[in-house]
Amino acid sequence: MQGLTEILILPLIGAVTIGAFKSVAPRRLAGIWATVLVLASFVFAVVADLHLAGLTAGHREITVTLFNWVTGFGPPIAWNLYLDPLSGIWLLIITGVGGLIHLYANGYMADDPDQGRFFGYFNLFIFSMLLLVLAGNLLILLIGWGLVGLASYLLIGFWYQRPSAVRAAKKALVMNTVGDVGILIGLALLYVRYHAVTYSALFGAFSHASPGSPFFGWVAILLYIGAMAKSAQFPLSGWLVDAMEGPTPVSALIHAATMVTAGVYLMARLYPLLRLAPGVAYAVAAIGTFTAIYAASAAFFQQDIKKVLAYSTLSQLGYMFLGVGVGAYTAGVFHFMTHAFFKACLFLAAGSVIHGLGGEQDIGQMGGLYKKMPWTMVSFLAATLAISGIPPFAGFYSKEAILGQAFNSGHDLLWMVGVITAGMTSFYMFRLFFLTFFGTPRNTDLYQHAHEAPAVMTVPVIALGVLSVIGGFFGPWLNHWLRPAFTAYPGAPHAALESGPTVGTVLAVGLAVVAFVVAYALYIRRAVPARAGIERWPGRWMLAAYGLDTGWRDVAVVPLMAAGTWVRRQLDRGILTAVVGVANGIWLWAEDLRPIQSGYVRRYALSIMVGLAVVLAYSLMKA
Amino acid sequence: MLWIGLLGIPLVGALVVLLLSERAAKVGAAVVAALEIGVFAALLGGAAPSLNLAWIPAWGVRLHFAADGLALFLLGLTAVMTLVAICASKASYGRAYFFWILFMEFASMGLFGAVDLFLFYIFWEAVLIPIFFLLTGWSGEKGRAAGLKWLIMNLFGSLFMLIGVVAVAVIHNQTTGSLSFEISQLTNLPVSSFAAPWLFGVFALAFAIKAPLWPFHGWMPDAYGEAPAPVTALLAGVLSKAGVFGFLRVMLPIFGAELHAYRTGLMIWVAVSLVYGALMALRQTDMKMVSAYASLSHLSMIALGIFSLTAAGILGATFLMVAHGLMVGSLFLILGVVEERLGGREFNGLMGLNRGAPRLATYFLFFALATLGLPGLPGFAGEYMIMQGLVVHAVGFAVVAGVVLIVAAWYMVRLFQGIMQGRPDHPAVADVNVGQVAWLVPLAILVAVIGVWPAGITGHAVPSLYHAVHFAVAQGGIN
Repeated sequence: MQGLTEILILPLIGAVTIGAFKSVAPRRLAGIWATVLVLASFVFAVVADLHLAGLTAGHREITVTLFNWVTGFGPPIAWNLYLDPLSGIWLLIITGVGGLIHLYANGYMADDPDQGRFFGYFNLFIFSMLLLVLAGNLLILLIGWGLVGLASYLLIGFWYQRPSAVRAAKKALVMNTVGDVGILIGLALLYVRYHAVTYSALFGAFSHASPGSPFFGWVAILLYIGAMAKSAQFPLSGWLVDAMEGPTPVSALIHAATMVTAGVYLMARLYPLLRLAPGVAYAVAAIGTFTAIYAASAAFFQQDIKKVLAYSTLSQLGYMFLGVGVGAYTAGVFHFMTHAFFKACLFLAAGSVIHGLGGEQDIGQMGGLYKKMPWTMVSFLAATLAISGIPPFAGFYSKEAILGQAFNSGHDLLWMVGVITAGMTSFYMFRLFFLTFFGTPRNTDLYQHAHEAPAVMTVPVIALGVLSVIGGFFGPWLNHWLRPAFTAYPGAPHAALESGPTVGTVLAVGLAVVAFVVAYALYIRRAVPARAGIERWPGRWMLAAYGLDTGWRDVAVVPLMAAGTWVRRQLDRGILTAVVGVANGIWLWAEDLRPIQSGYVRRYALSIMVGLAVVLAYSLMKA
Repeated sequence: MLWIGLLGIPLVGALVVLLLSERAAKVGAAVVAALEIGVFAALLGGAAPSLNLAWIPAWGVRLHFAADGLALFLLGLTAVMTLVAICASKASYGRAYFFWILFMEFASMGLFGAVDLFLFYIFWEAVLIPIFFLLTGWSGEKGRAAGLKWLIMNLFGSLFMLIGVVAVAVIHNQTTGSLSFEISQLTNLPVSSFAAPWLFGVFALAFAIKAPLWPFHGWMPDAYGEAPAPVTALLAGVLSKAGVFGFLRVMLPIFGAELHAYRTGLMIWVAVSLVYGALMALRQTDMKMVSAYASLSHLSMIALGIFSLTAAGILGATFLMVAHGLMVGSLFLILGVVEERLGGREFNGLMGLNRGAPRLATYFLFFALATLGLPGLPGFAGEYMIMQGLVVHAVGFAVVAGVVLIVAAWYMVRLFQGIMQGRPDHPAVADVNVGQVAWLVPLAILVAVIGVWPAGITGHAVPSLYHAVHFAVAQGGIN
């Protein structure tokens, strides 16, 4: 088994035991138990990856079949587990970064009376995400896919007494279901043609197919819809911003480091399919790039510390999709890894700030906090430099790899937009950093009471801060590690990391530095307030993410609700009235006949029917 | 022998319950229902036996029951849901109530087991009676009206079906010279092109009313709404399956060619029904009506799987009948608990019951998620198989069904959140008690197991379904 089932089962045990015993066990125990189990799962993941590394390069995969999921209408679909270098990376990030975030949550949730429920959900999420990446076929992947959506729903709506959290949870679930349905139809189409949904069978068959048939185009689009919904690509992006209603460790774990990258995983996993649908691959890259610049611009005027980070997550996911879409698979995965480090760090540091300020999330109320929270500030700075693509921090290397390969592969327009977005990223991130930690405190009352987080929270933040500094140096190792995964089947000739033109690097870094200087000049030298510009166009429009939510409401929610009302008011009432009319008619008729016959409607009707039957039978026999 | 037990235990048990004191009736009924589950377990363990005795030799009618793959798990569903419904009922309903519940179990068992068309018809009619009395005797103020609507609409359908039953046997007699109602012998009938649509229509009408499918659901809102929760659970969980079951048991062998010829039209009809139910469920403010129209929508999904005439679609429909029975039955029982706590069925905004009743909320959420088709739970498995059948040559319908799945997530979450979440503006309600947990936990475990291991059911169902599917394939269905 090579420990695959153990990796999976440990967090599931956690979820079940915490769910069952949370009302009787000591309150703090749930967090400790959940953290221990995830860290144990991490150890098993390391062991499994080491085992994988020991195999010869051509056969670097482990498959486990547990039992049949469904049988009967064709070849059975089983609970296949599958570990290869690609899923191995995800395993390490899910359990490793996930373990750090669990540890942090022990501090963050310490005062919450309902923390047992929180950690139960948290472990359920880890289990689901592990199932998603360890799945050996698309159906089991979809089960994990749906379950992470559930965990996300539960955790966004964790504070269920807040109507805004309840609404955000509903939105997340419904939008994620859009993606589930896409994958469901896509895999069903694949099963019809290939009678299998395992990766090995499908990819083996894809190797002999030639690109361009509409079948592959449709299947790739359907599976990409799944990836879009989970990874919040435009226009299915609105839910991720609202998801910030959940506790901050949730935002770090699910809505930044792991779950939202599931779409990147799926697209990277399906590289043999993207080879067959080059148009869809281009769409993946183009929509990703658009999402990157769209979200970056929407982040400019945000007032809530977590919403800035949410838009930055959207934007960085866009980069990952750009990488995957242009065939730079390793670069996309590399950016997933560094992003997990620096974005988890940013969210956890933001959580420490929110925790230290007694729940305040408005950056207009912050400022000057570097004196109160030095460790948090330093970690936040490291992660900000990383996301802004300043060398030698982690994000520089992975972003450069993606942009370089976009350029090399001839996607000039996408490359250009990506470079501009890099500058924009630097601007909004340093705006956030300066407004939060520097300048004069804007709310002296909050500032007075602000305090550094306890060690259980700062240690994970610092660890992730260190990874944000050094994460970029893992590139060559990652390149080597992923090579077997992307050479197993045709379709990824440029999967390995490449370096782009020097001018591109200079341009991207130069823009980032300029943006840093502009942010410094505005928010430190001139002390522009956080709310500047949001009253007028375009600030107001950008703050509302260009009215995407309103658009969805007008296009989908309102018409569907109106249709429901119309059906209910007009059609159903008509049907029910007609039924009552007919029933009354029959009843009156029966009442009228009562004196003549024995009076029981049923017997009378029965005799009519038998009579009719005899007549019909007679006519049939004569015919 | 097993069949005599399966039919005899609830029938004799029902009579015994009538002899018990009013207070002992519930316990007595529960014991009978538990025995019935024991018989079902024996049925599951051994080779599926059949009972085949001559009944009315002059007409060729036989007492022929069989527990084939199509029926086996519906028998189990009936046994399980009857026991659960009895446990969830108030002892104060009295012995007559429990008599009718057990009588309904007997009639449902006979209905699902009958493989003689005449016998099928007898039990088809027999299930009307207990529901009628339960609706008129133990329901809310509109119970009498609901019972009459139920009876009249269903009689309307089934009396026409009787014409069909007789006509089919007569046509069979005409070609072979022997009179038989054995369904497996009534295949490949030389029905004239004039009579075929009419004969097909009378059966389809009866089945559509019983399920119900749009636009034959006129009896549904009152009956589901007014009946006590355990009766609604049995109506929606078990009896609604009789309608779609009829398409598989009767239509597929006898009218295979017609099913194939009318397939597109039938699929359009149930697709409308599917969307209709979902839209209705989205706009209800009565919690039982959300679930009722959701059930209408799911039954349409099952019918869509059948009409796809593919192995995957038919198997998915068979599976989803069982899974849906467990899920929607449990959901109605939970809504019954909520209704009892709240004293009403209206929900609007966020009522926040979670604060006082977190465990009730957990079970509620579990069954709501199962019903909306969360991957990993049985609703998903059934819907996947139906989708798998639809994409073979009806991708358009698969897309419609997919959109409905999205709406389903929406209305179920709206129902759950509306009742359970938000800030409570009224006193906290009591959580589930030990008696309720005693049936909720086994049901939840059963649903989870079926969801993780659907092969447990599909593997059992396939060998005998193969016949039906093979027939559909021979008629021109593919895959």
